[in-house]
Amino acid sequence: MGKRVLLADDDQLLASLLNFRLKKGGYEVHHSSNGKEVKEYLKTEMPDIIVSDIMMPYFSGIELIDFVRNELKSNVPIIIISSAGNEQNVLSAFELGANDFITKPVSPTELLVRVAREINKK
Amino acid sequence: MIPPRQIKISLITAPEFNLEYLWWLSISFMVLAVLYFIGIFLIRNRITSTNGRTKDKKIEFSPMISEFLFYEDSNSKEEKMNYLNLKIQIRELIKDSFDRRVLTEVLLDLRKDLSGQSQTVLIELYKDLGLHNEAFEKLASRRWQIISSGILELTTMEVMESYGLIIKFINHRQGTIRKQAEIAVVNLKEEGIGFFLDNTKYKISEWQQLKLLDVLRHKTNFEPPLFGLWLTSTNSHVVLFSLRLIKYYRQSDAEKSIITLLKHKKRDIQAEAIDCIKEFFFVSALPTLKMVYSKASIDIKIAILDAIGEIGSKSDVEFIEKLKKKERNFNIKSKVLGTLNKLDPESILPTKNIASSDYFSSEAENNDDVSEVIESIENEITIETPEIISQNIIEIKEDLVEKPNEPIIEEQIVSINSDEHLELAELKINEVERKVDTDVSEEITSVEESVVIDSVSEIELCFLPKVDIDVVEEEEVISINLETVQEDERPLTFDFLPLIISNPSIKEVITSNEDDDFVPLFSLDEDLDIEPIEIENQIDSFQENVIEEIDWTNVLNSNSYQDSEITKEPLISFENETVTFSANFMLEDELDTMVLLENIAEMGDCRELPMLQELLAENTSPLILDRTNELIQKFSYQSPRPNELFSSKNDLVESVFTEVYNHSDKETKLILLQEIKRIGDKKEIQLLESIINTESKTLAISAKSVLKHIKSQIVVTNAEAINTVKNNNPLFDVDFELGLSVASKRMMKSNENGSTIFDQLCSMSNTLYNKING
Repeated sequence: MGKRVLLADDDQLLASLLNFRLKKGGYEVHHSSNGKEVKEYLKTEMPDIIVSDIMMPYFSGIELIDFVRNELKSNVPIIIISSAGNEQNVLSAFELGANDFITKPVSPTELLVRVAREINKK
Repeated sequence: MIPPRQIKISLITAPEFNLEYLWWLSISFMVLAVLYFIGIFLIRNRITSTNGRTKDKKIEFSPMISEFLFYEDSNSKEEKMNYLNLKIQIRELIKDSFDRRVLTEVLLDLRKDLSGQSQTVLIELYKDLGLHNEAFEKLASRRWQIISSGILELTTMEVMESYGLIIKFINHRQGTIRKQAEIAVVNLKEEGIGFFLDNTKYKISEWQQLKLLDVLRHKTNFEPPLFGLWLTSTNSHVVLFSLRLIKYYRQSDAEKSIITLLKHKKRDIQAEAIDCIKEFFFVSALPTLKMVYSKASIDIKIAILDAIGEIGSKSDVEFIEKLKKKERNFNIKSKVLGTLNKLDPESILPTKNIASSDYFSSEAENNDDVSEVIESIENEITIETPEIISQNIIEIKEDLVEKPNEPIIEEQIVSINSDEHLELAELKINEVERKVDTDVSEEITSVEESVVIDSVSEIELCFLPKVDIDVVEEEEVISINLETVQEDERPLTFDFLPLIISNPSIKEVITSNEDDDFVPLFSLDEDLDIEPIEIENQIDSFQENVIEEIDWTNVLNSNSYQDSEITKEPLISFENETVTFSANFMLEDELDTMVLLENIAEMGDCRELPMLQELLAENTSPLILDRTNELIQKFSYQSPRPNELFSSKNDLVESVFTEVYNHSDKETKLILLQEIKRIGDKKEIQLLESIINTESKTLAISAKSVLKHIKSQIVVTNAEAINTVKNNNPLFDVDFELGLSVASKRMMKSNENGSTIFDQLCSMSNTLYNKING
């Protein structure tokens, strides 16, 4: 059974592509399209890695990191997907405990490599 | 009074209108409204369903596209079969125009979100599926939106074949198409930027320039052409954009062209050329920069100075020195000084608000000398000023005689007491201080002269109230006021004492100031122990010891005393052919009472007599007493006497409601009865009794109720009267109390809410008016 990846992104098309790529890379992917779903999922199950977009409805990627690190007290690796020119958010994400980030436009292959690296680190 | 029903007003005749038309019109509008809502409903449903279908299609296409994007030759045979099947399936799907459109949308969206190999595969898929052909067709459309979207699509998907088609739109008259084409041309091919700069005839907006630069920046392996070639363009926007590109790509090979552009008529190009010169350190541009300086605008002058500061040397100091003397504009002058310091560091030192070194070293040594200087200056000023003032008075008199028909002149004050004058005096004193070491006596003379000149030139003329022009001619109020000497804090400051000048034709007024807070002018009185200073008669004594003669402390501390004195002064007094005006202040209570009396005089009648009697007893002010007595006399003799007012013969005994009641309909009468119940008294009894006897059953019942209520109130009033008497007379001491019913208490309370009978009548009148007018 592959490692579990939580993919949090409200862009259905991109999420579908990344989902496909990650699955093809041997991961078990759970996709959530908004922050609420992510929160509910994390309360029941903790994945091996979280890949989250910064801009999400209800619950942003930054809030998600804060929730995971401070409320759930989990050290699960978190990779943030952010738009180019969103440096301030990226810095905030790192301050709160994000492990890595990748900017849009995303290269699915690159993401796959980064996910693998973070899981290996763990 | 004419009853309302008898008033005949001729109505304006309106043309007859066929009601049938009105019905048709209403029906038409209703049908139109229904059609409108149906239309909106249908369009909304169509948009919703289309969006739903598009979403479903996107979900359907998404795994297919993923399969295509991440297909690898190393896939298993099964996967390869699956890929081939998907390809066939997707080709079938795109035969439908809707599906084709959705697929295009999906690919365009993904193009923005994906990078790397996935992006390349995506673009290949787009072309492989032949979706770009539809974009070509869009270019042939007549609608500018479609053409624009076609160009965008082809640019996004990097369809190089479209370049030839898109360049046609470079000079399209429609701005959106033109701008989209410009970006496409620059984006699609490396030589696109050259083509664009060669051919564009239109303005290139600042935003468009930024977008084009962004496109160029993100082009991989882009080798920029020499943009200096386009500095000769006839399109000034191309020249400007080229200058910016030259600066961005640091192409310094167009030195002469750039220097020539300093002489360009457009300020934007001049500024950009100066920036380039500064950037590339074109020293050869210095003569041209100096040449164009004289005719340049302020911002260009500043830019030129900045450039000279950057690329110039000490040999350019002379030019800048000239500018330093010539330039008057604050910004340019600041820049000139900055440039001078850049070319020759520390050549210009701060000068503003910098005290001389003597100021710090010689302060203690010169204290004694300075004191002497102050004394001499004071003496000189006190001697000189009255003469000057006298001259001014004569001039004013002459003016007044020359213009006898002029309207009233409000104030005449000759004063030297503003802050500016104090500062000027300080400056002069500082000047004296600095020069004391060299030659005290000479400086004293110069200071004396300058102070005298200042005091003359900056005299402020104000004019006091004037009634008679002849009197005003004789009245001049002069005050000279300067700061007190504060030797411990400042090296040399002094205060010109307030001057009061008086002679048979001059009235004295003194202003006092303490720490620059000026108190209002006040009249001096003999009671204040201040000796008047009559300039013309007492010049000699004034020169000698005028300061000692005046008890200023007493003056400054006697404001309250003066206030009380002023109120007792007559408003206008005539003494020695001089008219004196004094403020007549009234206490607040007195003022209120006077206002009340004036209101009573305007609106009151004999019923106010008791109040006036009370006021007469309570007040002692002669003004109030006089006015109260006047009003009592007026109301006592011009109106019915108080004892006549409430007699049965007097009309006033009749209820005020009678007339209104007689002209009202039944409903109004009922309302009126309610109002009578609320505010009526014994005067209404007669009216109520007549209603009970004559009116209909409903009104009679209501009137009975009101009558009963009023009678109960009268009983209460009588009981109160008895209580009052009882309290005053022990004979009425009884061991029980008269009780009031709850309703009576409520009623009393409602009548005690501060409303007068007049207010309540107004309210009732309003209610009736509203009732009558629906």
